[in-house]
Amino acid sequence: MALVQQTQLQTGGAGAREGARRLAGSPALRTVGRRLLAIIPVLIGVTLLTFAIMSTLPNTTAQAILGLNASPAAVAALNHSLGLDQPFWERYWHWLVNVLHGNLGTSVQGESVNHELAIHVPTTLGLLLYALVVSVVLAIIVATLAARKPNGIADRISLTVSMLGLSTAPYAFAFLLIIVFAVKLGWFPVLSGAVTGPGSFFRNLTLPAAAIGFGLFAIYTRLLRADLVEQMQREDYIVTAKAKGVPPWRVLIRHALRNSMFTLITVIGLNLGALVGAAAIIETIFQVQGIGNDLLTGISNHDVPLIEGITLVFALVTVAGNLLADIAYAVLDPRIRYGSSTS
Amino acid sequence: MAAPLPDITLASPLPPPLPSLVNGRRLRAQRVGRALRLWVPAGVLILILAICFLLPLVVSLPSSTKGDIIYNNEAPFSPGHLLGTDVQGVDIFSQLVYGGQVAFEVGVAVTIIGVAIGGTLGIIAGYFGGWVDAVISRVLDILIAFPALVLALVIAEGLGPSEMHTIWALSVFGIPAVGRVTRGATLTIRGLPFMTAARLAGTRGWRIITRHVVPNIAPTIVTFSLLGIGVVIILEGALDFLGYGIPAPTASWGKMIANGQQILSAQPEYVLIPSIALLITVASLNMLGDALRERWGTQ
Amino acid sequence: MTDALLEVEDLRVTFALGGREVRAVDGISFTVTPGATLAIIGESGSGKTVSCRAIMGLLPGGTAIGGSARLRGTELLGLSDAELRRHRGSDLAMVFQDPARSLNPTMRIGLQITEAIRTHRTVSKREAQTQAIELLRLVRMPAAERRFHEYPHQLSGGMRQRVMIAMALACRPKLLIADEATTALDVTTQAQIMELLLDLQEELDMALIMISHDLGLAASYADEVIVMYAGKIVEQAPAAGLFGAGGAVRMRYTRALLDAIPHLERPAHTLLPVVGGRPPDPTALPPGCSFAPRCQHAEDDCRATVPALAEHAPGHRWACWHPCENGGAA
Repeated sequence: MALVQQTQLQTGGAGAREGARRLAGSPALRTVGRRLLAIIPVLIGVTLLTFAIMSTLPNTTAQAILGLNASPAAVAALNHSLGLDQPFWERYWHWLVNVLHGNLGTSVQGESVNHELAIHVPTTLGLLLYALVVSVVLAIIVATLAARKPNGIADRISLTVSMLGLSTAPYAFAFLLIIVFAVKLGWFPVLSGAVTGPGSFFRNLTLPAAAIGFGLFAIYTRLLRADLVEQMQREDYIVTAKAKGVPPWRVLIRHALRNSMFTLITVIGLNLGALVGAAAIIETIFQVQGIGNDLLTGISNHDVPLIEGITLVFALVTVAGNLLADIAYAVLDPRIRYGSSTS
Repeated sequence: MAAPLPDITLASPLPPPLPSLVNGRRLRAQRVGRALRLWVPAGVLILILAICFLLPLVVSLPSSTKGDIIYNNEAPFSPGHLLGTDVQGVDIFSQLVYGGQVAFEVGVAVTIIGVAIGGTLGIIAGYFGGWVDAVISRVLDILIAFPALVLALVIAEGLGPSEMHTIWALSVFGIPAVGRVTRGATLTIRGLPFMTAARLAGTRGWRIITRHVVPNIAPTIVTFSLLGIGVVIILEGALDFLGYGIPAPTASWGKMIANGQQILSAQPEYVLIPSIALLITVASLNMLGDALRERWGTQ
Repeated sequence: MTDALLEVEDLRVTFALGGREVRAVDGISFTVTPGATLAIIGESGSGKTVSCRAIMGLLPGGTAIGGSARLRGTELLGLSDAELRRHRGSDLAMVFQDPARSLNPTMRIGLQITEAIRTHRTVSKREAQTQAIELLRLVRMPAAERRFHEYPHQLSGGMRQRVMIAMALACRPKLLIADEATTALDVTTQAQIMELLLDLQEELDMALIMISHDLGLAASYADEVIVMYAGKIVEQAPAAGLFGAGGAVRMRYTRALLDAIPHLERPAHTLLPVVGGRPPDPTALPPGCSFAPRCQHAEDDCRATVPALAEHAPGHRWACWHPCENGGAA
């Protein structure tokens, strides 16, 4: 493993061997390794299924490109040149082999899928990250304030706002944001322009991020608040902390919050997949140059390589999210990191 | 000489009573609060369902698909049009009503399919464990990783948009969601002592499942399903909004929002009205789910 | 008595449960002198834990507390939480029952100990670390410096309890309350921890209240014993006055508890004289003596009137209309 070689270079000899042994034996790393292996069948499964489904549907790619008036001969010729008349498992195999070489193929419109995605995926990821970071930070703050006095004023407000966030459709909320902040107040543009630097990043992506983030904030706040309150009321180590004379805020933050973060991180990871889908829709509303638009174009063109490429991205994000949640658990929870009793 | 018996002194005289903790008024207020939290959203939901499904049977509503362009942009409360008409002249209230029908049909259908298939898979995986669990979990993982959005779009484009196709596509997302929750709940129940007792008593697998597992996880499934219907309604609205859900002439809330998009700044109400309908519906479902969870004490 | 460390007078704790009032502690009074060891014995639900948590101010909101508890003259009940926190962990400390759940699983134990120190004293992190390692040595933790950086799950039950004790001793409290501190441990470890506590008492001139359901423990280690039942004190005496040769147990409940301890001398296969019935329902206490429903010697006056706790013999109080004669089973 590359890690082992690295350790050897750094410490040399016996130290490296000891380090490598500890790494290889570390339960955290084993969990990670196992998870990484488990991803592969999932990714293959998803992409294969997509291919299969698209193959069973009437294949009108060539038709879509040439238009309704094209002659059957022209359609057949285009089909052949695009390789669309081969059986689907052959096509999938070719595609898979190409992917393993890093080539996602050529879209029906002649662009390299790699190129398309390379431009657009970062924008989408940037948007996602923005929405995620802001909603998590706000959720932590609000949930902590709410948990300080359950059923108090802060708590009631947070519960109401969360219920609203949970019940609004992001695409509907997006329009509300546009009406208020873009049209009436003019703080942000209605349609997103190109993102070239930090300034344009915040100007163009704040409203879309808010549209996605409101729902996220609601979910995380509810979850964290419930977990915090449960800890403060039921866990023995909280009583110990109080018995030491630790002030209530410190008890909440240094003890309860610390332990509640695990649940939060797991949920964030598991949610990631759904998030990409929501982002795609919001992108179309604000005309953000991300993969959302690519997806819609690809669909209307029956652009199999492009759709497969995007599907792969979606699946990767979902799977990466699950993986990160697992890793975070394994790394952060000292019970897993340090194994059992060493007495 | 033995000392005389000491006086029997009471260690403490009759203590004055402590202030009463059991505040009758506060208790009643709590009980009232709890009942309100359950029945208000339930009532709102029943009202919405009645308007969407019963009202058209009783009252003759203007068409939700065709409109007279002469009468477009009518204001609310104009004659014959309770909420006015949209840009095309189609009655808004009718669109809300029939769009609501679609929303509930899809929402409930997907949830039922999810519980039937996903629930069964989840119980089997959770109860039997071993390689059965491994296989089912792997399948559920793949289904969950599947971008439902892409699938829905692909099917709609390939086979043409329709309500059935939307239901199938969203079921791909619904089945693993219910499956995971069911599996988790089954695992929790399985570990409880009474389950071991039932197994030791020789009860057969199927009887254990139907008589012990299902009744105990039912509350969890129900509350999760209520929240699930809300999520599906929102997703279905998204598909309609993009144009890949319910086909064009049929009314749907998502379509209403999409139509209102163009004149957003001039006349925001075309977007706001269906958005509010969505909000009230989903919020009622969520609040009802919360209230039931409170009453049944489940997760 | 002005040299008393802790004076509890008529302590009452009531809380609301399902719309009814529960009198968890129903008027108890006792005194703890500096350096003494007091054992509070009772079943679950007798109010022993609740009373001590009330003194520490660790009860959840929604509890009504009455009476008085004075620590060296300072009234503790009725203090604001901020003021009480100054005493908690510094003059007055508590060790709990289940060290596995009572320690934060995601925080290194060293940090949990230094937290106890730095909450009450302004010292640097380095200084607090040194003090914490000293404390670990004081509680006879092997390899103290290494353990400082470890997590609770890496320690055994006995070691975790030592960590709890170290945290409690961080600011040299004058009074330590050990709430079933050894119940979750095996017998050997139990003895070690008790010995440790007693040695620490001497070294630090510290008073100890040990809460337990184990009469044997009380007999071996305590100076004075209080027996609680259904929220009230039913017997109170120096340990010597209750157990052993010159001992005279009076209250029927205490007698029943003693009788229920298995003895090696009894012939094999003898039925163990357990205390029949179940602990009383705190929301529905009988009118007379709370123990009457389970007492074999109960008479009509027992069921009618609550017996008062009175000092019938010097230093020995009990609350029973028909106590045992001369400590024997009568």
